[in-house]
Amino acid sequence: MDLMNCISEATQEIFQSMLAFEVQPGAPLVERQKMFRDTVSGMVGMAGLYRGMLAIHVPNAIAKNITSTFLCIEVEDIDDDVKDAIGELANMLAGSVKSMLTDNGKDVKLAIPSAVCGREYEVECLADGDGVVVPFQLEGGEFLVECFLQK
Amino acid sequence: MEKKVLIVDDSNTMRKIVARSLRQAGFEFEKVLEAPDGQAALDLLAGEAVDIVLSDINMPVMDGIEFLRQKNADAQIKGIPVVMITTEAGTDVLREAMELGAVGTIKKPFTAEQVQEVLGKFL
Repeated sequence: MDLMNCISEATQEIFQSMLAFEVQPGAPLVERQKMFRDTVSGMVGMAGLYRGMLAIHVPNAIAKNITSTFLCIEVEDIDDDVKDAIGELANMLAGSVKSMLTDNGKDVKLAIPSAVCGREYEVECLADGDGVVVPFQLEGGEFLVECFLQK
Repeated sequence: MEKKVLIVDDSNTMRKIVARSLRQAGFEFEKVLEAPDGQAALDLLAGEAVDIVLSDINMPVMDGIEFLRQKNADAQIKGIPVVMITTEAGTDVLREAMELGAVGTIKKPFTAEQVQEVLGKFL
């Protein structure tokens, strides 16, 4: 399975089983998006045989909806709960990619997930890594999942 | 008899999701305890007996593998069953957890039905 299909299937499975959200993958972006506005980004670093990063970039409104569904509470602000929820989505996605990359996930280690948010920020990635950025449509907007790796 | 469960995960969101899934799966607990890492779980188990532990693997401070090792070294808590709930399903690190005595695994993402299927064997 290639990275695009892995991300596509894993994202749909995670959103369906954990949130009961239907998400539809779109065509991969031709060029990586670096700048984000009013967004929450969850990221997991990978090290070992492959090194790089998996990230999910979710607009604030969708991030609040996801967190609200996860925790069964009203979420009004982008707080630690929202960052934790989006970080955990990145963690589950990275686990799926890790299992795909190598036999039994051997020789690839996942870092602890982290998350950032803000009015405007830039996310840098491996300059010479190979990867893919996949947009997903759901009710209320679109979010991105990207993974760039170097072997 | 009412039982007690300990959920160990560095993500507050995931701890809440696991607790909700337990209820949806039909399990009722007298007390649902939470810990953000393996060390906090050991500290908690030193003062409170639980019937089962559900633990993540990839956590800061003390991960799920070291938690199993430390638990196994303590005769007071060695016998408490631990089910791993992790993204690491099918990987070598999960095999290590099973060798250290983990009694089952639930792969993230999961459904309440999958939780019921695994925990039903122990509760």
